[in-house]
Amino acid sequence: MTPTIIVEKLSKTYQVPEREGGFGAAVRSFFKRKYKDVKAVQEVNFSIAQGEVVGFLGPNGAGKTTTLKMLSGLLHPTGGKASVLGFTPWELKPEYLRAMTLVMGQRNRLSWDIPAADSFLLNQAIYRIPDDQYKQTYKELDELLELEPLMKKPVRNLSLGERMKCEIAAGLLHRPRVLFLDEPTIGLDITGQVRIREFLREYNKRTGATILLTSHYMADVTALCERIIIIHQGQLKYDGGITDLSHKIAPFKLIGVMLTDADSHDLSKYGTQVRNEEDADKKYIQVKAGDVTRITSQLLADLPVHDITITDPPIEDVIEQAFNQ
Amino acid sequence: MYLIIKRLWQVNWAEQWQYRANLLMYLLYWLVSPIIYLAVWTSIANAKGSVNGYTANDFITYYLVLLICDQVTSNIVIHIFGYKIQDGSLSGELIKPIHPVLTSVLINNIAFKVLTILGFIPVWIVLFFLFRPDFSHVALSGILLSIPAMILGFLVSYLLSAAITALAFWTTRVYSIHEFYFALILLFSGQFVPLPLMPKLVQDIAQYLPFQLFIYYPIQLILGKLSSAQIVQGYVSGLVWLGVAVLLFNWIWRNGVKRYSAVGA
Repeated sequence: MTPTIIVEKLSKTYQVPEREGGFGAAVRSFFKRKYKDVKAVQEVNFSIAQGEVVGFLGPNGAGKTTTLKMLSGLLHPTGGKASVLGFTPWELKPEYLRAMTLVMGQRNRLSWDIPAADSFLLNQAIYRIPDDQYKQTYKELDELLELEPLMKKPVRNLSLGERMKCEIAAGLLHRPRVLFLDEPTIGLDITGQVRIREFLREYNKRTGATILLTSHYMADVTALCERIIIIHQGQLKYDGGITDLSHKIAPFKLIGVMLTDADSHDLSKYGTQVRNEEDADKKYIQVKAGDVTRITSQLLADLPVHDITITDPPIEDVIEQAFNQ
Repeated sequence: MYLIIKRLWQVNWAEQWQYRANLLMYLLYWLVSPIIYLAVWTSIANAKGSVNGYTANDFITYYLVLLICDQVTSNIVIHIFGYKIQDGSLSGELIKPIHPVLTSVLINNIAFKVLTILGFIPVWIVLFFLFRPDFSHVALSGILLSIPAMILGFLVSYLLSAAITALAFWTTRVYSIHEFYFALILLFSGQFVPLPLMPKLVQDIAQYLPFQLFIYYPIQLILGKLSSAQIVQGYVSGLVWLGVAVLLFNWIWRNGVKRYSAVGA
């Protein structure tokens, strides 16, 4: 069987205007602009079979979103080929647009001012969904996401998690056979993330849809995907099973401790110190997964610890680390 | 397609309805200049008897009808569609299987129009009693003829504005180009003063431009001031301009979308 998604030597180079800071440079660039080529995606190859759920990973700026945009047809590549369901995405054929969806966690597609129910009905018309099929799909989505209580409120009055549920549901009303999800759980609390994850797994099982998703949360990926594709600086770095990858690069945990008189203690003998921008009160060290229990008890015994947390390192860091080594 | 339009209407109508206070302010703002022209020209005509053959009643009827025609034929494409290009929300719509500008933006514009017209009717009635125009020479046939003419005028004005707005695919912002375009409309459509009061040169140029289709032509139709030959000529030029506007818009749109998807939609 031919794979649902085939990507061959897909490349995208952006021309980005570039100038020095300052007034003089601003004036000069008005007359003569300098451009810099930014190679967002460079000759990427992969193929995805029908029904697969694939995690698409890489640090910020790696080219994930650019690739998703090319595959959904929003962007023209500068080189290479792609075929999804037999269509060339950027030809924007209506038959293709009706068969796929692109949900971007950071973009709203629902109208802010009106209840989601109205936008849903509009989508029904736009995607030509027959009434009985629409009712059936809506019922299923409602079961999985508990949409009903959210439907009547204007979207602007929904919480972030509620809105994301509606966004995802709106993108799936037409039962797309291919889903491109860019950060579908961004900004959601844990319950929200779990909900969406379970939903996607169930949707994939029920419909056999092919899913390619990016996420910053390792848990999203480990829960959903058996296979991951990693790109870094526009190049494909890894394509394979997720278990193989964690053996290879992620046998680490992060221990965060809050200490009295934090600066007077040296943590480097326990593990590699790492910075965490989001939580500056704590000091973080990275240790091997197998050493967590031992080092935690050592820390608690040796130091005046107020608070301690053990977490997976952010996927971004793991990947960044793996490829910078 | 009917269902799409119906649902688009429901959504956009509800959306516009949310902003009714805003619409009312817009309406007031939009009313100011024609009413000033109306007041100024009538008082001049009253003082001098007439201006180039235009009596006070001619000015009053002209501007009162102008308010209607302008309301029907003008558009707010730049605000809806231009904004979507600038903030990138057009991306989501490009991958929907309908044409964004010819469906949702158009319907949104019409919903806006219907709502402002509802607000405008009482204002017009007040103006009517304030200025007491003599409409005795207006015939039903003229009014009936003006309706398709105004629809034609709206379509041309909508498509031309959409074409200019689509330049934002290259420039990101188009407000200044659009302001310039509005100045052309003001000058050549008869919005500022009736075209016959303009210098000969302006009148001649206006003949070759589409702008009088928006204002001057439908006004003259309603007021019954055109000969049969002029009526036919107006309709023919309207259809020709519609064709030109369709081609122009399509061309700019197609290249614009290509460009947009090259630079990073």
